[in-house]
Amino acid sequence: MTYSAIDPAFEAILRRRLSYLPQDEVLRPDDSLKDLGLDSMQAVELIFDIEDELGVVLPDELMTAQTFATAASLGAALAAASDQISAGTS
Amino acid sequence: MTATISDPAPLAGDLAQDLRRRLAVVLPVVRDEARMLDESASFPARNLAALRESGLLGLLVPADFGGLGGDLTDLVAVAASLAGECLSTGMIWAMHCQQVAAVVAHGSPSLRERLLPRIAAGDVYIASVTSEKGKGGHLLTAQAALRHAGGMLEIERDAPIVTGGQDADGFLITMRDSPGAPPHAVSMVYADRADLVISSSGSWNPMGMRGTHSVALRLAGRVDEDNLVGGPGEFRTVAVSTFAPVGHIAWAACWLGAARAAVRGVLELLRSPAGRRQFDLHSDLLRTRLARIRLDLDTVAAMLAQCLRDIAAAPDLEAVPVQLRINGLKVLAAERSFAVVDALTEIAGLRHGYLRDAPLALERVFRDLRSASLNYANDRLLLANGALALLDRGVSIAC
Repeated sequence: MTYSAIDPAFEAILRRRLSYLPQDEVLRPDDSLKDLGLDSMQAVELIFDIEDELGVVLPDELMTAQTFATAASLGAALAAASDQISAGTS
Repeated sequence: MTATISDPAPLAGDLAQDLRRRLAVVLPVVRDEARMLDESASFPARNLAALRESGLLGLLVPADFGGLGGDLTDLVAVAASLAGECLSTGMIWAMHCQQVAAVVAHGSPSLRERLLPRIAAGDVYIASVTSEKGKGGHLLTAQAALRHAGGMLEIERDAPIVTGGQDADGFLITMRDSPGAPPHAVSMVYADRADLVISSSGSWNPMGMRGTHSVALRLAGRVDEDNLVGGPGEFRTVAVSTFAPVGHIAWAACWLGAARAAVRGVLELLRSPAGRRQFDLHSDLLRTRLARIRLDLDTVAAMLAQCLRDIAAAPDLEAVPVQLRINGLKVLAAERSFAVVDALTEIAGLRHGYLRDAPLALERVFRDLRSASLNYANDRLLLANGALALLDRGVSIAC
């Protein structure tokens, strides 16, 4: 699975936590999520949403500011984590 | 690849990694035994065999004597890991290390040469004999007296409670230095099991720490005079500079390790798909409880780290601020580790936290950690610290 082009399901989850991003504005892969309203508390909620709705669990060591910097960086981390899951179960 | 005692001692920088490798062999055994040991209240013989084989009995033995040459920071890491699987096993190993530290720092050259290589080889597990009827658990007084006779020391000693006493290969025993000496002239002496006639009595059916299998022992025998650890009547020096600080560090590491492992288990449960359905992770109550739990762990860890710095750097371990912290560490670790598991029980609820066969085993850790305040009683250390605090009018805290 890839999130690099901002997967629609991923974007829908992400947008809920971006209180400064109007509904009708485009979310670009390199936009700063922090500038769009993703603080550390919102990041925790986002992680739970991702686990519930996408079934992807990020390892503790990826819980960094770098991971949550942009949709692209978070998408890459999720892709890596879900690859690991499928590699582990195949 | 398994770590064995035939492996050469590691270079200093590699020790942490080397210890993880040795632990990786031991921890699955300990994990496997924990429930059975609690049910049967028996000594962890299989765990001790794995520890002997791993080389970890010689953690604090200098490399010159074939040991791993570890320091107290290494002791803390290993004790916490072992205790995270089985607190009884962690305490048995940590208390053995406390005895080893005393021999390393205060044993005569002859005793060190005879004994330390055997410890490093995994052949000698040492139990501590400091308790005595009628002295109220005071470490620095003794009643039963050694007899000095022709370069030998005659031992006749009753001990009401000796952890691992039936399984130990050797004993560090505190006794009054001679029949004419006052109660505070305490000597510490090492005796091999082979040097002693040992009878044990009493039953062992406690609330927790059931794997520490502590029994009453009667020990009688003769050892060389150079089996003294510290000078005649000078156990106080051994206690203040090594035995008490290492003991408090070792206990605190075990209790903290047990509490940390319990927190890990609960966090795994809360974050698991099943846990997500059962627990509301958005609950303010849950989150403030988790915050307090984490704060307790971090506070104990910080105090432990400060005491390690004190011991490594303080010119005088008898300095009042240092004594206050070393005593305080034991009290704090005992109280907060237990409080952590109590709070976890509240979070996990009846099914995960209270049932004896629940996979989390919180109930066992709860019973085990209830002993922490009683194991060299917090009340006694608080009385000592209250007196010491009056002496430090400048209130010289660590930062």
